[in-house]
Amino acid sequence: MIEVKNVTKKYGKVKAVDDISFTINDGEIVGLLGPNGAGKSTTMNMLTGFIEQTSGTIIIDNYDMLKKPKKAKREIGYMPEGVPLYTDLTVKEFVKYMAEIKKVDKKERKEKVEKIIEQTGLKDVQKKLIKNLSRGYKQRVSMAGALVGEPKILILDEPTVGLDPKQITEIRNLIKELGKTHTVILSSHILSEVSQICNKVIIINKGKIIAIDTPEHLEDKVSSNNCIYVTVEDTENKMKDIKEKITDIEKIELVQENEDGTKEYMIEAKQDVDLRKTIFSEFAKENITIFEMKKADTTLEDAFMKLIEGGENK
Amino acid sequence: MWAVIKKEIKSYFYSPVGYVFIGLFLIMFSIFFYTDVFTYQSTNFEYIFYSGATILTFIVPILTMRTFAEERKTGTEQLLLTSPLSITKVVIAKFIAATLIVIITELCTFLYFAILCFFGTPHITTALVTLLGFLLLAMSYISFGILASSITENQIIAGVITIGFFILTWFLPSFSDIFTNFSLINMFSKFPTGQIDIADTVTFITFTIACLLLTVIFMQRRKSVR
Repeated sequence: MIEVKNVTKKYGKVKAVDDISFTINDGEIVGLLGPNGAGKSTTMNMLTGFIEQTSGTIIIDNYDMLKKPKKAKREIGYMPEGVPLYTDLTVKEFVKYMAEIKKVDKKERKEKVEKIIEQTGLKDVQKKLIKNLSRGYKQRVSMAGALVGEPKILILDEPTVGLDPKQITEIRNLIKELGKTHTVILSSHILSEVSQICNKVIIINKGKIIAIDTPEHLEDKVSSNNCIYVTVEDTENKMKDIKEKITDIEKIELVQENEDGTKEYMIEAKQDVDLRKTIFSEFAKENITIFEMKKADTTLEDAFMKLIEGGENK
Repeated sequence: MWAVIKKEIKSYFYSPVGYVFIGLFLIMFSIFFYTDVFTYQSTNFEYIFYSGATILTFIVPILTMRTFAEERKTGTEQLLLTSPLSITKVVIAKFIAATLIVIITELCTFLYFAILCFFGTPHITTALVTLLGFLLLAMSYISFGILASSITENQIIAGVITIGFFILTWFLPSFSDIFTNFSLINMFSKFPTGQIDIADTVTFITFTIACLLLTVIFMQRRKSVR
Protein backbone atom coordinates (compact mmCIF):
# COMPACT_ATOMS: atom_id res chain seq x y z
CA MET A 1 0.00 0.00 0.00
CA ILE A 2 1.18 3.49 -0.82
CA GLU A 3 0.09 6.45 1.24
CA VAL A 4 0.89 9.95 0.13
CA LYS A 5 -0.04 12.61 2.63
CA ASN A 6 0.04 16.35 1.91
CA VAL A 7 3.17 16.11 -0.17
CA THR A 8 4.61 19.32 -1.58
CA LYS A 9 7.74 19.75 -3.65
CA LYS A 10 9.12 23.21 -4.16
CA TYR A 11 11.87 24.30 -6.49
CA GLY A 12 12.75 27.72 -5.18
CA LYS A 13 9.40 29.43 -5.09
CA VAL A 14 7.80 27.26 -7.73
CA LYS A 15 5.63 24.45 -6.45
CA ALA A 16 6.12 21.49 -8.78
CA VAL A 17 3.80 19.39 -6.67
CA ASP A 18 1.33 21.15 -4.45
CA ASP A 19 -0.11 19.42 -1.41
CA ILE A 20 -1.18 16.12 -2.95
CA SER A 21 -2.62 13.21 -1.01
CA PHE A 22 -3.75 9.82 -2.23
CA THR A 23 -3.75 6.18 -1.28
CA ILE A 24 -3.05 3.26 -3.55
CA ASN A 25 -4.12 -0.16 -2.40
CA ASP A 26 -2.40 -3.44 -3.15
CA GLY A 27 -3.14 -4.88 -6.55
CA GLU A 28 -4.39 -1.69 -8.13
CA ILE A 29 -3.19 -0.46 -11.50
CA VAL A 30 -3.14 3.28 -11.23
CA GLY A 31 -2.63 5.78 -14.01
CA LEU A 32 -1.08 9.12 -13.25
CA LEU A 33 -2.42 11.38 -15.93
CA GLY A 34 -1.61 14.92 -16.82
CA PRO A 35 -0.21 17.21 -19.48
CA ASN A 36 3.53 17.70 -19.78
CA GLY A 37 5.00 19.48 -16.81
CA ALA A 38 2.05 18.65 -14.57
CA GLY A 39 4.24 17.07 -11.91
CA LYS A 40 3.89 13.41 -12.83
CA SER A 41 7.58 12.63 -12.93
CA THR A 42 8.25 14.69 -9.82
CA THR A 43 5.59 12.70 -7.99
CA MET A 44 7.09 9.44 -9.18
CA ASN A 45 10.61 10.51 -8.28
CA MET A 46 9.40 11.24 -4.78
CA LEU A 47 7.61 7.89 -4.52
CA THR A 48 10.81 6.10 -5.46
CA GLY A 49 12.97 8.13 -3.09
CA PHE A 50 15.06 9.64 -5.87
CA ILE A 51 14.20 13.10 -4.65
CA GLU A 52 12.93 14.30 -1.30
CA GLN A 53 9.68 16.16 -0.83
CA THR A 54 9.76 19.61 0.73
CA SER A 55 6.98 18.63 3.12
CA GLY A 56 4.51 15.82 3.72
CA THR A 57 4.99 12.08 4.10
CA ILE A 58 5.23 9.15 1.72
CA ILE A 59 4.65 5.73 3.22
CA ILE A 60 5.41 2.61 1.20
CA ASP A 61 4.11 -0.55 2.83
CA ASN A 62 4.36 0.96 6.32
CA TYR A 63 7.89 2.26 5.73
CA ASP A 64 8.36 6.01 5.65
CA MET A 65 10.45 6.85 2.58
CA LEU A 66 12.50 9.45 4.41
CA LYS A 67 13.04 7.51 7.62
CA LYS A 68 13.44 3.95 6.34
CA PRO A 69 14.58 4.47 2.73
CA LYS A 70 16.34 1.10 2.38
CA LYS A 71 13.28 -0.93 3.31
CA ALA A 72 10.89 1.27 1.38
CA LYS A 73 13.04 1.16 -1.75
CA ARG A 74 13.17 -2.63 -1.70
CA GLU A 75 9.41 -2.70 -2.25
CA ILE A 76 9.67 -0.65 -5.42
CA GLY A 77 10.70 -1.40 -8.97
CA TYR A 78 11.23 1.79 -10.90
CA MET A 79 11.38 2.37 -14.63
CA PRO A 80 12.45 5.99 -15.01
CA GLU A 81 11.40 8.31 -17.80
CA GLY A 82 13.43 7.99 -20.97
CA VAL A 83 14.68 4.51 -19.98
CA PRO A 84 18.18 5.28 -18.72
CA LEU A 85 20.40 2.21 -19.05
CA TYR A 86 24.06 1.30 -18.79
CA THR A 87 24.47 1.00 -22.51
CA ASP A 88 27.92 -0.56 -22.45
CA LEU A 89 26.65 -3.65 -20.64
CA THR A 90 24.89 -6.59 -22.24
CA VAL A 91 21.25 -7.22 -21.41
CA LYS A 92 22.09 -10.08 -19.11
CA GLU A 93 24.88 -8.19 -17.37
CA PHE A 94 22.53 -5.28 -16.79
CA VAL A 95 19.77 -7.39 -15.30
CA LYS A 96 22.34 -9.19 -13.16
CA TYR A 97 23.77 -5.88 -12.00
CA MET A 98 20.32 -4.64 -11.06
CA ALA A 99 19.76 -7.88 -9.14
CA GLU A 100 23.02 -7.32 -7.29
CA ILE A 101 22.37 -3.73 -6.29
CA LYS A 102 18.87 -4.68 -5.24
CA LYS A 103 20.41 -7.32 -3.02
CA VAL A 104 18.80 -10.39 -4.49
CA ASP A 105 20.05 -13.44 -2.62
CA LYS A 106 23.18 -14.79 -4.27
CA LYS A 107 21.92 -18.38 -4.45
CA GLU A 108 18.72 -17.42 -6.25
CA ARG A 109 20.19 -14.64 -8.35
CA LYS A 110 21.07 -16.57 -11.49
CA GLU A 111 17.74 -18.34 -11.62
CA LYS A 112 15.73 -15.17 -11.01
CA VAL A 113 17.64 -13.17 -13.60
CA GLU A 114 16.91 -15.85 -16.18
CA LYS A 115 13.25 -15.94 -15.22
CA ILE A 116 12.88 -12.19 -15.65
CA ILE A 117 14.72 -12.21 -18.99
CA GLU A 118 12.27 -14.85 -20.15
CA GLN A 119 9.25 -13.00 -18.77
CA THR A 120 10.14 -9.75 -20.54
CA GLY A 121 10.89 -11.53 -23.82
CA LEU A 122 14.58 -10.69 -23.89
CA LYS A 123 15.95 -14.19 -24.22
CA ASP A 124 17.03 -13.77 -27.86
CA VAL A 125 18.98 -10.58 -27.20
CA GLN A 126 20.39 -11.29 -23.75
CA LYS A 127 23.98 -11.38 -24.99
CA LYS A 128 23.72 -8.17 -27.02
CA LEU A 129 25.06 -4.85 -25.85
CA ILE A 130 22.22 -2.60 -24.76
CA LYS A 131 23.44 0.25 -26.97
CA ASN A 132 22.78 -1.87 -30.05
CA LEU A 133 19.16 -2.60 -29.17
CA SER A 134 16.09 -0.94 -30.63
CA ARG A 135 13.97 1.38 -28.54
CA GLY A 136 11.34 -1.27 -27.93
CA TYR A 137 13.87 -3.71 -26.55
CA LYS A 138 15.48 -1.02 -24.42
CA GLN A 139 12.08 -0.42 -22.90
CA ARG A 140 11.87 -4.10 -22.05
CA VAL A 141 15.34 -4.10 -20.56
CA SER A 142 14.36 -1.17 -18.39
CA MET A 143 11.23 -3.06 -17.39
CA ALA A 144 13.34 -6.11 -16.55
CA GLY A 145 15.51 -3.89 -14.38
CA ALA A 146 12.44 -2.70 -12.53
CA LEU A 147 11.09 -6.23 -12.07
CA VAL A 148 14.25 -7.64 -10.57
CA GLY A 149 14.24 -8.17 -6.83
CA GLU A 150 10.55 -9.03 -6.73
CA PRO A 151 9.22 -5.62 -5.77
CA LYS A 152 5.56 -5.43 -4.74
CA ILE A 153 5.13 -2.08 -6.42
CA LEU A 154 6.07 -1.17 -9.97
CA ILE A 155 6.42 2.49 -10.87
CA LEU A 156 6.62 3.06 -14.61
CA ASP A 157 7.23 6.55 -15.91
CA GLU A 158 5.77 6.88 -19.40
CA PRO A 159 6.32 3.24 -20.31
CA THR A 160 5.14 3.44 -23.90
CA VAL A 161 6.64 6.69 -25.11
CA GLY A 162 8.58 6.37 -28.35
CA LEU A 163 7.34 2.93 -29.31
CA ASP A 164 5.61 1.81 -32.48
CA PRO A 165 1.98 0.64 -32.23
CA LYS A 166 2.91 -3.04 -32.13
CA GLN A 167 5.41 -2.51 -29.37
CA ILE A 168 2.91 -0.37 -27.46
CA THR A 169 0.40 -3.22 -27.50
CA GLU A 170 3.09 -5.64 -26.36
CA ILE A 171 4.20 -3.43 -23.47
CA ARG A 172 0.57 -2.81 -22.48
CA ASN A 173 -0.11 -6.51 -22.37
CA LEU A 174 3.00 -7.01 -20.31
CA ILE A 175 1.84 -4.33 -17.87
CA LYS A 176 -1.61 -5.91 -17.63
CA GLU A 177 0.02 -9.26 -16.97
CA LEU A 178 2.24 -7.76 -14.29
CA GLY A 179 -0.77 -6.00 -12.77
CA LYS A 180 -2.09 -9.38 -11.67
CA THR A 181 0.79 -9.84 -9.28
CA HIS A 182 1.96 -6.28 -8.60
CA THR A 183 0.65 -2.89 -7.66
CA VAL A 184 1.38 -0.77 -10.71
CA ILE A 185 1.58 2.99 -11.01
CA LEU A 186 2.18 4.32 -14.47
CA SER A 187 2.25 7.81 -15.82
CA SER A 188 1.06 8.85 -19.22
CA HIS A 189 -0.37 11.69 -21.15
CA ILE A 190 -2.19 9.30 -23.44
CA LEU A 191 -5.69 8.77 -22.14
CA SER A 192 -6.73 5.76 -24.14
CA GLU A 193 -3.76 3.95 -22.71
CA VAL A 194 -4.76 4.70 -19.16
CA SER A 195 -8.40 3.76 -19.70
CA GLN A 196 -7.33 0.46 -21.22
CA ILE A 197 -4.88 -0.61 -18.58
CA CYS A 198 -5.76 1.11 -15.35
CA ASN A 199 -8.55 0.62 -12.87
CA LYS A 200 -7.93 3.95 -11.18
CA VAL A 201 -6.90 7.29 -12.60
CA ILE A 202 -5.29 10.20 -10.83
CA ILE A 203 -5.50 13.34 -12.92
CA ILE A 204 -2.92 15.90 -12.06
CA ASN A 205 -2.34 19.36 -13.45
CA LYS A 206 0.01 22.13 -12.36
CA GLY A 207 1.06 20.09 -9.36
CA LYS A 208 -2.44 19.57 -8.04
CA ILE A 209 -4.70 16.54 -8.09
CA ILE A 210 -7.86 17.35 -10.03
CA ALA A 211 -9.58 14.00 -9.83
CA ILE A 212 -9.12 10.48 -8.50
CA ASP A 213 -11.59 7.98 -9.90
CA THR A 214 -12.12 4.98 -12.13
CA PRO A 215 -11.89 5.68 -15.87
CA GLU A 216 -15.60 4.85 -16.29
CA HIS A 217 -16.72 7.24 -13.57
CA LEU A 218 -14.66 10.02 -15.01
CA GLU A 219 -16.36 9.57 -18.35
CA ASP A 220 -19.80 9.57 -16.74
CA LYS A 221 -19.04 12.63 -14.70
CA VAL A 222 -18.65 14.87 -17.71
CA SER A 223 -21.09 13.20 -20.07
CA SER A 224 -24.06 14.18 -17.86
CA ASN A 225 -24.62 17.45 -19.71
CA ASN A 226 -25.84 15.94 -22.93
CA CYS A 227 -25.12 17.43 -26.26
CA ILE A 228 -26.82 16.63 -29.53
CA TYR A 229 -25.53 17.42 -32.96
CA VAL A 230 -28.15 17.91 -35.68
CA THR A 231 -27.70 18.60 -39.35
CA VAL A 232 -30.80 20.27 -40.78
CA GLU A 233 -32.16 21.87 -43.90
CA ASP A 234 -33.82 25.04 -42.70
CA THR A 235 -35.20 26.86 -45.75
CA GLU A 236 -37.58 29.05 -43.79
CA ASN A 237 -34.91 30.03 -41.30
CA LYS A 238 -36.86 28.91 -38.27
CA MET A 239 -33.93 27.60 -36.27
CA LYS A 240 -33.43 30.94 -34.53
CA ASP A 241 -36.83 30.65 -32.87
CA ILE A 242 -36.50 27.02 -31.91
CA LYS A 243 -35.07 27.77 -28.50
CA GLU A 244 -38.33 29.38 -27.41
CA LYS A 245 -40.34 26.45 -28.72
CA ILE A 246 -38.40 23.79 -26.82
CA THR A 247 -37.93 25.06 -23.32
CA ASP A 248 -35.48 22.35 -22.29
CA ILE A 249 -32.79 23.68 -24.58
CA GLU A 250 -29.96 25.28 -22.66
CA LYS A 251 -27.91 26.45 -25.58
CA ILE A 252 -28.02 26.25 -29.35
CA GLU A 253 -25.05 26.95 -31.52
CA LEU A 254 -24.28 26.86 -35.23
CA VAL A 255 -21.35 24.57 -35.81
CA GLN A 256 -20.94 24.82 -39.56
CA GLU A 257 -22.76 25.48 -42.82
CA ASN A 258 -22.35 22.74 -45.35
CA GLU A 259 -21.99 23.27 -49.09
CA ASP A 260 -25.32 21.63 -49.86
CA GLY A 261 -27.17 24.27 -47.83
CA THR A 262 -27.60 22.20 -44.68
CA LYS A 263 -26.47 23.51 -41.34
CA GLU A 264 -25.03 21.67 -38.39
CA TYR A 265 -26.11 22.79 -34.94
CA MET A 266 -25.03 21.79 -31.49
CA ILE A 267 -27.90 21.65 -29.03
CA GLU A 268 -27.16 21.42 -25.35
CA ALA A 269 -30.04 20.30 -23.17
CA LYS A 270 -30.74 21.15 -19.59
CA GLN A 271 -29.57 18.51 -17.17
CA ASP A 272 -30.45 14.88 -17.78
CA VAL A 273 -33.10 15.46 -20.41
CA ASP A 274 -33.00 13.45 -23.58
CA LEU A 275 -34.15 15.86 -26.23
CA ARG A 276 -34.01 13.64 -29.28
CA LYS A 277 -37.70 12.80 -29.37
CA THR A 278 -38.81 16.40 -28.84
CA ILE A 279 -36.41 17.67 -31.43
CA PHE A 280 -37.71 15.18 -33.96
CA SER A 281 -41.38 16.12 -33.49
CA GLU A 282 -40.88 19.86 -33.04
CA PHE A 283 -38.59 20.17 -36.03
CA ALA A 284 -41.15 18.32 -38.14
CA LYS A 285 -43.85 20.76 -37.06
CA GLU A 286 -41.64 23.71 -37.98
CA ASN A 287 -40.87 22.18 -41.35
CA ILE A 288 -37.19 21.76 -40.59
CA THR A 289 -35.80 18.65 -42.22
CA ILE A 290 -33.42 16.63 -40.12
CA PHE A 291 -30.62 15.08 -42.15
CA GLU A 292 -28.62 13.75 -39.29
CA MET A 293 -28.89 13.65 -35.53
CA LYS A 294 -26.33 12.25 -33.13
CA LYS A 295 -25.62 12.29 -29.46
CA ALA A 296 -22.13 13.54 -28.69
CA ASP A 297 -19.88 10.90 -27.17
CA THR A 298 -17.81 12.00 -24.28
CA THR A 299 -14.56 10.19 -24.01
CA LEU A 300 -11.96 10.19 -21.34
CA GLU A 301 -10.24 12.70 -23.57
CA ASP A 302 -13.10 15.15 -23.04
CA ALA A 303 -13.19 14.38 -19.35
CA PHE A 304 -9.52 15.11 -19.17
CA MET A 305 -9.70 18.36 -21.09
CA LYS A 306 -12.75 19.48 -19.18
CA LEU A 307 -11.21 18.73 -15.82
CA ILE A 308 -8.00 20.46 -16.71
CA GLU A 309 -9.74 23.52 -18.09
CA GLY A 310 -12.06 23.57 -15.09
CA GLY A 311 -9.10 23.31 -12.77
CA GLU A 312 -7.37 26.19 -14.49
CA ASN A 313 -10.39 28.44 -14.32
CA LYS A 314 -10.80 27.98 -10.59
CA MET B 1 28.70 -2.43 -2.87
CA TRP B 2 30.87 -5.12 -4.45
CA ALA B 3 28.46 -5.17 -7.38
CA VAL B 4 29.05 -1.49 -8.10
CA ILE B 5 32.83 -1.88 -7.85
CA LYS B 6 32.71 -4.83 -10.26
CA LYS B 7 30.52 -2.96 -12.70
CA GLU B 8 32.64 0.18 -12.56
CA ILE B 9 35.80 -1.77 -13.30
CA LYS B 10 34.01 -3.54 -16.13
CA SER B 11 32.94 -0.28 -17.69
CA TYR B 12 36.47 1.08 -17.36
CA PHE B 13 37.55 -1.70 -19.66
CA TYR B 14 34.45 -1.88 -21.86
CA SER B 15 35.02 1.73 -22.75
CA PRO B 16 38.51 2.85 -23.74
CA VAL B 17 38.89 4.83 -20.50
CA GLY B 18 40.77 2.14 -18.56
CA TYR B 19 43.13 1.37 -21.42
CA VAL B 20 43.74 5.02 -22.20
CA PHE B 21 44.59 5.72 -18.57
CA ILE B 22 46.96 2.78 -18.12
CA GLY B 23 48.40 3.11 -21.62
CA LEU B 24 49.03 6.83 -21.37
CA PHE B 25 50.64 6.46 -17.98
CA LEU B 26 52.93 3.65 -19.10
CA ILE B 27 53.99 5.41 -22.31
CA MET B 28 54.91 8.58 -20.42
CA PHE B 29 56.47 6.54 -17.64
CA SER B 30 58.60 4.66 -20.18
CA ILE B 31 59.89 7.89 -21.66
CA PHE B 32 60.86 9.20 -18.25
CA PHE B 33 62.32 5.82 -17.38
CA TYR B 34 64.46 5.95 -20.49
CA THR B 35 65.71 9.48 -19.93
CA ASP B 36 66.31 9.07 -16.19
CA VAL B 37 68.03 5.72 -16.35
CA PHE B 38 70.09 6.17 -19.48
CA THR B 39 70.98 9.84 -19.19
CA TYR B 40 71.99 9.65 -15.56
CA GLN B 41 73.18 6.03 -15.62
CA SER B 42 71.27 5.41 -12.39
CA THR B 43 69.26 2.43 -11.19
CA ASN B 44 67.06 4.57 -8.96
CA PHE B 45 63.58 3.21 -9.61
CA GLU B 46 61.99 5.61 -7.12
CA TYR B 47 63.11 8.80 -8.78
CA ILE B 48 61.10 8.12 -11.90
CA PHE B 49 58.01 8.46 -9.74
CA TYR B 50 58.64 12.19 -9.34
CA SER B 51 57.83 12.34 -13.03
CA GLY B 52 55.15 9.71 -12.48
CA ALA B 53 53.37 12.02 -10.05
CA THR B 54 53.38 14.74 -12.68
CA ILE B 55 51.80 12.40 -15.21
CA LEU B 56 49.21 11.40 -12.64
CA THR B 57 48.23 15.02 -12.16
CA PHE B 58 47.16 15.23 -15.76
CA ILE B 59 45.56 11.84 -16.30
CA VAL B 60 43.54 11.19 -13.14
CA PRO B 61 40.61 13.21 -14.54
CA ILE B 62 40.32 10.65 -17.35
CA LEU B 63 39.42 8.16 -14.67
CA THR B 64 37.19 10.28 -12.49
CA MET B 65 35.41 12.81 -14.66
CA ARG B 66 32.74 10.37 -15.78
CA THR B 67 31.99 8.72 -12.42
CA PHE B 68 28.94 10.74 -11.43
CA ALA B 69 28.65 13.26 -14.25
CA GLU B 70 27.83 10.56 -16.79
CA GLU B 71 25.30 8.83 -14.57
CA ARG B 72 23.62 12.15 -14.02
CA LYS B 73 23.55 13.00 -17.70
CA THR B 74 22.22 9.66 -18.91
CA GLY B 75 19.83 9.36 -15.99
CA THR B 76 21.23 6.05 -14.78
CA GLU B 77 21.75 7.66 -11.39
CA GLN B 78 18.01 7.17 -10.99
CA LEU B 79 18.58 3.42 -11.08
CA LEU B 80 21.44 3.64 -8.64
CA LEU B 81 19.84 6.03 -6.18
CA THR B 82 16.45 4.33 -6.11
CA SER B 83 18.07 1.00 -5.28
CA PRO B 84 18.43 0.05 -1.62
CA LEU B 85 22.14 1.01 -1.77
CA SER B 86 23.07 4.04 0.30
CA ILE B 87 24.78 7.00 -1.33
CA THR B 88 27.83 6.51 0.89
CA LYS B 89 28.29 2.99 -0.43
CA VAL B 90 27.94 4.12 -4.03
CA VAL B 91 30.55 6.84 -3.55
CA ILE B 92 32.97 4.48 -1.81
CA ALA B 93 32.45 1.83 -4.49
CA LYS B 94 33.27 4.26 -7.28
CA PHE B 95 36.32 5.44 -5.37
CA ILE B 96 37.57 1.89 -4.83
CA ALA B 97 37.06 1.02 -8.51
CA ALA B 98 39.14 3.98 -9.69
CA THR B 99 41.79 3.25 -7.07
CA LEU B 100 41.99 -0.34 -8.29
CA ILE B 101 42.81 0.90 -11.78
CA VAL B 102 45.71 2.88 -10.30
CA ILE B 103 46.86 -0.21 -8.40
CA ILE B 104 46.80 -2.20 -11.65
CA THR B 105 48.95 0.53 -13.20
CA GLU B 106 51.37 0.39 -10.27
CA LEU B 107 51.67 -3.35 -10.66
CA CYS B 108 52.64 -2.78 -14.29
CA THR B 109 55.53 -0.57 -13.18
CA PHE B 110 57.13 -3.59 -11.50
CA LEU B 111 58.21 -4.50 -14.99
CA TYR B 112 60.56 -1.51 -14.95
CA PHE B 113 61.81 -2.57 -11.55
CA ALA B 114 62.59 -6.01 -13.00
CA ILE B 115 64.54 -4.43 -15.87
CA LEU B 116 66.62 -2.44 -13.40
CA CYS B 117 67.42 -5.62 -11.48
CA PHE B 118 69.43 -6.76 -14.50
CA PHE B 119 71.71 -3.78 -14.34
CA GLY B 120 72.08 -3.13 -10.68
CA THR B 121 70.52 -3.65 -7.27
CA PRO B 122 67.59 -1.29 -6.84
CA HIS B 123 66.26 -1.00 -3.31
CA ILE B 124 63.02 -2.92 -2.92
CA THR B 125 61.80 -1.27 0.32
CA THR B 126 62.32 2.22 -1.02
CA ALA B 127 60.46 1.20 -4.15
CA LEU B 128 57.53 -0.10 -2.09
CA VAL B 129 57.42 3.04 0.04
CA THR B 130 57.39 5.09 -3.15
CA LEU B 131 54.53 3.03 -4.53
CA LEU B 132 52.63 3.52 -1.26
CA GLY B 133 53.15 7.27 -1.47
CA PHE B 134 52.12 7.21 -5.09
CA LEU B 135 48.95 5.34 -4.19
CA LEU B 136 48.13 7.82 -1.43
CA LEU B 137 48.60 10.69 -3.87
CA ALA B 138 46.44 8.92 -6.43
CA MET B 139 43.72 8.34 -3.82
CA SER B 140 43.66 12.04 -2.94
CA TYR B 141 43.50 12.97 -6.60
CA ILE B 142 40.74 10.44 -7.33
CA SER B 143 38.62 11.56 -4.38
CA PHE B 144 38.82 15.15 -5.57
CA GLY B 145 38.04 14.06 -9.13
CA ILE B 146 34.94 12.23 -7.91
CA LEU B 147 33.87 15.28 -5.95
CA ALA B 148 34.21 17.43 -9.08
CA SER B 149 32.25 14.87 -11.07
CA SER B 150 29.41 14.89 -8.56
CA ILE B 151 28.76 18.61 -8.87
CA THR B 152 28.20 18.76 -12.61
CA GLU B 153 26.58 16.68 -15.32
CA ASN B 154 29.21 17.72 -17.82
CA GLN B 155 32.24 15.43 -17.87
CA ILE B 156 34.46 18.03 -19.51
CA ILE B 157 33.72 20.59 -16.81
CA ALA B 158 34.39 17.96 -14.15
CA GLY B 159 37.72 17.17 -15.83
CA VAL B 160 38.75 20.79 -16.16
CA ILE B 161 37.88 21.55 -12.53
CA THR B 162 39.95 18.56 -11.46
CA ILE B 163 43.05 19.43 -13.50
CA GLY B 164 42.72 23.11 -12.59
CA PHE B 165 42.66 22.28 -8.90
CA PHE B 166 45.68 19.96 -9.15
CA ILE B 167 47.75 22.50 -11.05
CA LEU B 168 46.74 25.18 -8.59
CA THR B 169 47.91 23.16 -5.58
CA TRP B 170 51.06 22.27 -7.49
CA PHE B 171 52.13 25.84 -8.18
CA LEU B 172 50.78 27.54 -5.07
CA PRO B 173 54.04 27.04 -3.11
CA SER B 174 55.90 29.10 -5.69
CA PHE B 175 53.77 32.09 -4.76
CA SER B 176 54.25 31.82 -1.04
CA ASP B 177 55.80 29.33 1.37
CA ILE B 178 52.58 29.31 3.37
CA PHE B 179 51.09 27.05 0.74
CA THR B 180 53.83 24.41 0.91
CA ASN B 181 51.70 22.20 3.10
CA PHE B 182 48.75 22.46 0.75
CA SER B 183 50.53 21.05 -2.23
CA LEU B 184 49.58 17.42 -2.73
CA ILE B 185 52.41 16.75 -5.14
CA ASN B 186 54.95 18.27 -2.69
CA MET B 187 53.71 15.99 0.03
CA PHE B 188 54.52 13.04 -2.15
CA SER B 189 58.13 14.15 -2.63
CA LYS B 190 59.45 12.58 0.59
CA PHE B 191 58.26 9.07 -0.23
CA PRO B 192 60.84 8.33 -2.98
CA THR B 193 63.58 8.95 -0.43
CA GLY B 194 62.35 5.88 1.38
CA GLN B 195 60.73 7.48 4.39
CA ILE B 196 57.07 7.35 5.27
CA ASP B 197 56.19 10.76 6.59
CA ILE B 198 53.37 10.36 9.08
CA ALA B 199 52.15 13.94 8.72
CA ASP B 200 51.96 13.64 4.93
CA THR B 201 50.31 10.23 5.10
CA VAL B 202 47.68 11.53 7.50
CA THR B 203 47.09 14.60 5.32
CA PHE B 204 46.60 12.45 2.22
CA ILE B 205 44.13 10.19 3.99
CA THR B 206 42.29 13.10 5.59
CA PHE B 207 42.04 14.89 2.27
CA THR B 208 40.67 11.73 0.64
CA ILE B 209 38.06 11.17 3.32
CA ALA B 210 37.08 14.84 3.31
CA CYS B 211 36.51 14.83 -0.46
CA LEU B 212 34.47 11.62 -0.34
CA LEU B 213 32.43 12.96 2.55
CA LEU B 214 31.73 16.16 0.64
CA THR B 215 30.65 14.08 -2.35
CA VAL B 216 28.19 12.17 -0.18
CA ILE B 217 26.87 15.42 1.28
CA PHE B 218 26.46 16.98 -2.16
CA MET B 219 24.64 13.93 -3.49
CA GLN B 220 22.41 13.84 -0.43
CA ARG B 221 21.66 17.53 -0.70
CA ARG B 222 20.79 17.26 -4.37
CA LYS B 223 17.94 14.95 -3.39
CA SER B 224 16.10 17.87 -1.88
CA VAL B 225 16.96 20.51 -4.47
CA ARG B 226 16.80 18.35 -7.58
